[in-house]
Amino acid sequence: MSLIQNLIRRLLLMIPMAIGITLLLFVVTHIVPVNPLAVILTERSMDDPEAIRAATEKWGLDKPLPEQYLIYLKNLLQGDLGTSFKTKNPVALDLKNFLPATIELSICSFIFAVLFGLPLGIIAAYKAGSFADQVTRVVSLLGASMPPFWSGLLILFVFYYKLDWAPGPGRINSRIGAPESVTGLFVFDSLLKGNMPAFWSSLSHLILPSIILGWFTLALISRITRSSMLEVLSQDYIRTARAKGLAEKWVILSHALRNALIPLVTLVGLAFAGLMSGAIMTETIFSWPGIGRYAVESAANLDYPAITGATLLIAVIYMLVNIFVDMLYTIIDPRIREG
Amino acid sequence: MKLNRVFPFVMLVVLLAGILAGCGPASTSEAENPPAATDAPEEAAPTEAAVAPVGGTLVIAMNLDDVVTLDPAYAGETTNLFIHINTYDTLVDIRPDDLNTIVPRLAESWEVNSDFTEFIFHLRKDAKFASGNPVTAADVVFSWNRLLNVAGAPAFNLDGVGKVEAVDDYTVKVSTAVGDDGAAQPLPQFLSSACNPSLGIQDSKLVMEHGGTDAADAATTDKAKEWLDQNSAGSGPFILTRWSPKADIELVANKNYWKGAPNFDKVVITHVSDPTTQLQMLEKGDADMIGNLQTDLVDQAKANPDLTISVDQSLDENYLAMTYACPDDIKAADPAKFAELQSPDSFAILCKKEVRQAVAYAIDYEGIAKAVLNGYATRAPSIIPIGIIGVDPSKTQGRDVAKAKELLAAAGYPDGVTFDLYYASNATRDTVAAKIKNDLAEAGITLNLKPLEQSVYLTQMRAQQLPMAFGGWTPDYLDVTMWTDYFGLGDRSIAFRMWFQNEEANKLATEIRTTADPAARKTAVEKLQAVFIEEMPFTMLYQTQYVHAFSKDLQGFQFHPVWFVDLFGLSK
Repeated sequence: MSLIQNLIRRLLLMIPMAIGITLLLFVVTHIVPVNPLAVILTERSMDDPEAIRAATEKWGLDKPLPEQYLIYLKNLLQGDLGTSFKTKNPVALDLKNFLPATIELSICSFIFAVLFGLPLGIIAAYKAGSFADQVTRVVSLLGASMPPFWSGLLILFVFYYKLDWAPGPGRINSRIGAPESVTGLFVFDSLLKGNMPAFWSSLSHLILPSIILGWFTLALISRITRSSMLEVLSQDYIRTARAKGLAEKWVILSHALRNALIPLVTLVGLAFAGLMSGAIMTETIFSWPGIGRYAVESAANLDYPAITGATLLIAVIYMLVNIFVDMLYTIIDPRIREG
Repeated sequence: MKLNRVFPFVMLVVLLAGILAGCGPASTSEAENPPAATDAPEEAAPTEAAVAPVGGTLVIAMNLDDVVTLDPAYAGETTNLFIHINTYDTLVDIRPDDLNTIVPRLAESWEVNSDFTEFIFHLRKDAKFASGNPVTAADVVFSWNRLLNVAGAPAFNLDGVGKVEAVDDYTVKVSTAVGDDGAAQPLPQFLSSACNPSLGIQDSKLVMEHGGTDAADAATTDKAKEWLDQNSAGSGPFILTRWSPKADIELVANKNYWKGAPNFDKVVITHVSDPTTQLQMLEKGDADMIGNLQTDLVDQAKANPDLTISVDQSLDENYLAMTYACPDDIKAADPAKFAELQSPDSFAILCKKEVRQAVAYAIDYEGIAKAVLNGYATRAPSIIPIGIIGVDPSKTQGRDVAKAKELLAAAGYPDGVTFDLYYASNATRDTVAAKIKNDLAEAGITLNLKPLEQSVYLTQMRAQQLPMAFGGWTPDYLDVTMWTDYFGLGDRSIAFRMWFQNEEANKLATEIRTTADPAARKTAVEKLQAVFIEEMPFTMLYQTQYVHAFSKDLQGFQFHPVWFVDLFGLSK
């Protein structure tokens, strides 16, 4: 099967999976024994039977559950994710508003994690048992064990409040203001418009949250790289490569690393999808208007359409990343392509 | 061998460069390039340079989590009131220095008939919207009808209003709704309601241009929300130019404001949820003012000579509500409701007046205020807060454990008693609930804490299912009916939910909402307060004081208990 055919097949398979997810979500959210009208209506209008009746009708809550689901599905196929109970906006619009901030932060965190996780893992493997190995172990342990609500506040206190090395929370300095929106990615938009103060400000505002968000992923990557490299370095072909007099640099970077990367790719792919959805604490500490908080707040408010919309989006991101990872495999490891 | 040493070293340099530059280097080549390492320190320079020429920007860091829309016809939260009062003008106003007096704003004068069924407003003729359109009676009619017909969260501000009509270009007549008895119903709180920022006047031409309508079917046909979320259409001192949810709100000065141009060209209200970070931003000069200062940060703020601290009395209160009806009565009246009661045993205990009084006497209110607000709180004798007409702080009863024990014995529980307290769990309420549990234990009461999810709590409380509840109350308008209606009238809100059907309270609350004479109202409030104290369906736990912090060079701050602060009065 060719690469393209495979890709198309995988993309088509996403449709039934997405529908399955909506069904699951619908059932799970509706099991909770509370009244969503409590979110739709205000404290005082809950006393008004007329208001309750009107809202029940308007939001289709009087219909039987299967019918509600079919209506939802029908609208979904037309690209309509419904209207949020809480914001009264189309869910698609809300998601569009919150997604760019999340994308910007996840990409940066991801770059940070890979850029440092990979070398740290390689060093740790190459100098296994040495002082450098111990240092990377500590760095990884800290990343994996420090909760972001603590490390985030700490890093803000030290690097923003005390040392003034990095800017405070938010996506950009309030006195500069957001650049004219094209993609919603501040760094990209400001560069596009040649707005350099906004560019530097938005770029620098990414530093601290990226470190905090990316640290966990960094830990993951460095540990897996280390064990994977250790395994590869003990293989016969590495000894062969050394024996035939190859420079050590090439042995490590070309022979060992390429093979050690294979198990990493899946992990890194999933970690990236995780960054897109799991940033709630980082987003809160750094006042980052991302999708994680939107999803959590929707859940707390029992905002059915918003919960379903946000979860669906995150699920689709996971699926896309998965497909991308599988495609990447065939490039890294020709055996998979043939098999 | 050489590589053995060089390779880790190169990696270390990369690592250090990266830590300094964070994710600045988007590609490896940049990361290995030493200048990238100076990204972070350097960025401060262009930032400050860009700030200087703008000038006149006020930055406020506060929690904007509750902002879900900025269309006055839809927004029913708290922060939106602050945005709306600064972008829209109301007809009448209540100033922070006297919360019991209504003063002119867009209306220069008004007349109210003796039974509160007809209100006539005379508009000032020099007021213009930011768009340049004059403010006319037609705009008032449009704004209020749109609010009513969109039927969003703030529509309740017009509850009881029957008709809004323009008598001429600058005269508006409001008639109240006709009740079941065929007569127009009195609406004594309407002038106070009219001060609510949600009742600000919208530029009808501008709103209609963007798809707005005040027609009866506006709930489905009005399309202006998306535009009004990002723009304002008012005559207020500032104009909304942008709202990024969970990020910031940007206002620019309305240079043609009828009271004169505001002192700031621009106001940015930026969302920061962590109180410590808010204060850090204030101290660093990244913000000129912050929302409420958390009380455990007050000492840190006070120690900074560049900051001004202001302690302000709010009307926000927290209360403990206890059921007024016994299970048997509920069963007789409504078997279906009886079947759904949570903890019916607790209902049977708490419906005894002496038990409720004992609870009120057993609570260490000062201790609670200290525990959650470091003492920045006061307490009124009943559920009606200090600052409101007729409230006499000297009637406040404090803690008296011996008396609580006596009352319990009188109720038939000399050896103690056990019941359940339900509440929507959060960090503050968990602390208070635990404290109340300890306090009551000293009087021989075993209190079982039943923390719930907010939505579950609201659902159960609204369905009259809870024997004992712990909640908060924040006023939407400053008329005393904000408390006497909802806590005194058996068919309203909290009174209804806690089964508080008391003839005397009903009579007094009705008298308050139908009396024009301030002296008669005051007397009725005093009497109702006495009923509340005697029957004890609710005990006020504390009335919050808010601490505000802002930069020393900011002048004119005056806290408003409904909408935080008028930006127009601020200057630097």
